[in-house]
Amino acid sequence: MADLIYENTVVNVVKEHFKDDIIDAKVRRQRRVELRTNTNNIESVLLFLKEKMGFLHLSHISCVDWIEENRFELVYILWHPQEKVNVLIKVDVDRLNPVAPNIDYIWPQANTYERELREMFGIQFEGLVGRHELILEDWDDLPPMRRDFDTLQYVMQNYTFRSGREDAQDVRETIAKRTGEEIPEFAKKYSR
Amino acid sequence: MTFWQTLGAVLLTILIAFISGLFYMGIRRKVIARIQNRYGPPVYQNFLDVMKLWFKESNIHHGIMQHLAPLWMMAMGVSTLLFIPIVYNSDFWANFTFKGDIILLLYLMVFGSLGFALGAGQTGNPNSAIGVTRGLSQLVGFELPWVIALIAVMIQYKTTSLTDLVAWQQQHHTWIAFEQPFAFIAALLVLPAMFRYSPYDIVVAPSELASGPASEFGGKYMGLMMSSGSIFMFAKLALIVDVFLGGATSWLWMIIKTLALYMIPVLWSTVNPRYRTEQAIWSLWRWPLIFAVIGLLIATV
Amino acid sequence: MNYVLNDRESSKIVEFIKNFARKNSLWVLAYGTGCGAIEIPPTMTSRYDAERFSVRGAATPRQADVLLITGYLSVKTLKRVIRSYEQMQDPKYVIGFGSCTINGGMYWDSYNTIKQLDLYLPVDVYINGCMPRPEAVLAGFAKLQELIGKGEANGWKHYKENLEWYRQNQQKLIKNWKMPDYNW
Repeated sequence: MADLIYENTVVNVVKEHFKDDIIDAKVRRQRRVELRTNTNNIESVLLFLKEKMGFLHLSHISCVDWIEENRFELVYILWHPQEKVNVLIKVDVDRLNPVAPNIDYIWPQANTYERELREMFGIQFEGLVGRHELILEDWDDLPPMRRDFDTLQYVMQNYTFRSGREDAQDVRETIAKRTGEEIPEFAKKYSR
Repeated sequence: MTFWQTLGAVLLTILIAFISGLFYMGIRRKVIARIQNRYGPPVYQNFLDVMKLWFKESNIHHGIMQHLAPLWMMAMGVSTLLFIPIVYNSDFWANFTFKGDIILLLYLMVFGSLGFALGAGQTGNPNSAIGVTRGLSQLVGFELPWVIALIAVMIQYKTTSLTDLVAWQQQHHTWIAFEQPFAFIAALLVLPAMFRYSPYDIVVAPSELASGPASEFGGKYMGLMMSSGSIFMFAKLALIVDVFLGGATSWLWMIIKTLALYMIPVLWSTVNPRYRTEQAIWSLWRWPLIFAVIGLLIATV
Repeated sequence: MNYVLNDRESSKIVEFIKNFARKNSLWVLAYGTGCGAIEIPPTMTSRYDAERFSVRGAATPRQADVLLITGYLSVKTLKRVIRSYEQMQDPKYVIGFGSCTINGGMYWDSYNTIKQLDLYLPVDVYINGCMPRPEAVLAGFAKLQELIGKGEANGWKHYKENLEWYRQNQQKLIKNWKMPDYNW
């Protein structure tokens, strides 16, 4: 295990500077630091990391749908080009009223990621400018990457299958039968 | 020469030029394939392509200028061909040559491209518009050294007649390519640009412009363009053979010489990538123009 | 000594010549819809060299004869594909490429890829596989040539005759239908 000098420095500096605004800060492993904050402080945290710590590059903005806990988790992934360290900043957003601050004045490329999240998860970013359609076209259903969007039902409603498709065995069931493993509860919904 | 003899000669010339032009293109495709380590299509592939295009059952055009555009190309190809004497000392194959035909040919060879540019403009396709702009820029690029090279020859031999040039070369048993090498080199260097082969294929550029000006032409229009292209190609080769390579005493010599000449831009194009527009024009205005001007100076002194 | 052909025989000969020219000159529209587009460069270049079978790329739909649907087709792409197909000049052929065009393939439960191509476009030849290797693609072209030679590749006629039915299927998926007329 390599020494985690810089990773620990990041955690300490951020904790010292933001105190209670950082909910959680820890080193996941080498070159991977994880912070957790809230939507009110995300802009100042990102600006601090970019201007003071040298995390110059925003790699991605990702989103996880925690439907059981009724929240979306936004993950901002930053990269330090000199120290070669990734920082993941996680923010919880209310699932019923998903609103997050727009950060495309910090990194212009954030605009594309935010438009994608708006389209795929329905998260609204305050003051985000951009065409409403990014990848989908004429979409009028639930945002498709949400977990309460039933893909199979949508497919069955909108598309026709060629007859003969029913012959195909469900791969998961076949493997489960052969090896004797149990199909998990959440996966049973998708098997036929 | 009766009227019917002339008509027969004209029609036969067009037919032979059409067939040999298509065969040359087929040979080109084969040569390119072999250089790329492929087997390649059969030599007669272009005949099948033209036939298929003529057998298309729907042909869309977006207006009368687009409808006429391939006809301009055809008119240019045929009229250029008919003012070139094919066989030396033969009344039958002399076609419409007259004193001063080089000057007429200089005009005719531009006319079709301009007509086609108008037609391509009417399609409304942005690729066509970009292709036309590039094509006209390149036209300016190669016309300058080409015209100066021909003027150098005209001044040196004090004639504007192709028949006279061929006669002089045949009587002195030499080629103007040796007597006036600088003009010949200039003409050779602009040849790939006249045929729009690599590295001067900025006009068609299939991967970036979707074949440029021709992008909205399908079916019979495309077939007509391929036919006229083959005729015009043969006409250009025959013109250079007449001016620089001593003409021909029979059709066989004409075909041998044009094919040998055609291989130069073909082989040059297969190993070259594409120029950008400004690179193409600069490359045409540098060495070809310098050689042409040197030829002109030698001719005048 | 009556060698004059009657009408039926002469039209047969004309058809034979037409079909011979058509089958030996297939210009493929260079339009990749899915992952199968990566199989086209090896098919066309020196390793497999489709040009020796007279198969060549064409840059625009106006000049092309064959539309290759290379792999999955999302609804957004379907709109463009229909438009490209209708711009092509008759006779024109469609090759469905890969199992995604046949029954959805591995995208059978995806919310935005179509499951059955022949509901939306008249397919002449299907090539199965995920992905079909260049040999399979060449075999598909050979099959198409055989069909054209026999005069059986009439998908374009079928499309014209049943335009209403195809439009109905297409408009079921493409909600915002703003398209030019057929073969504009």
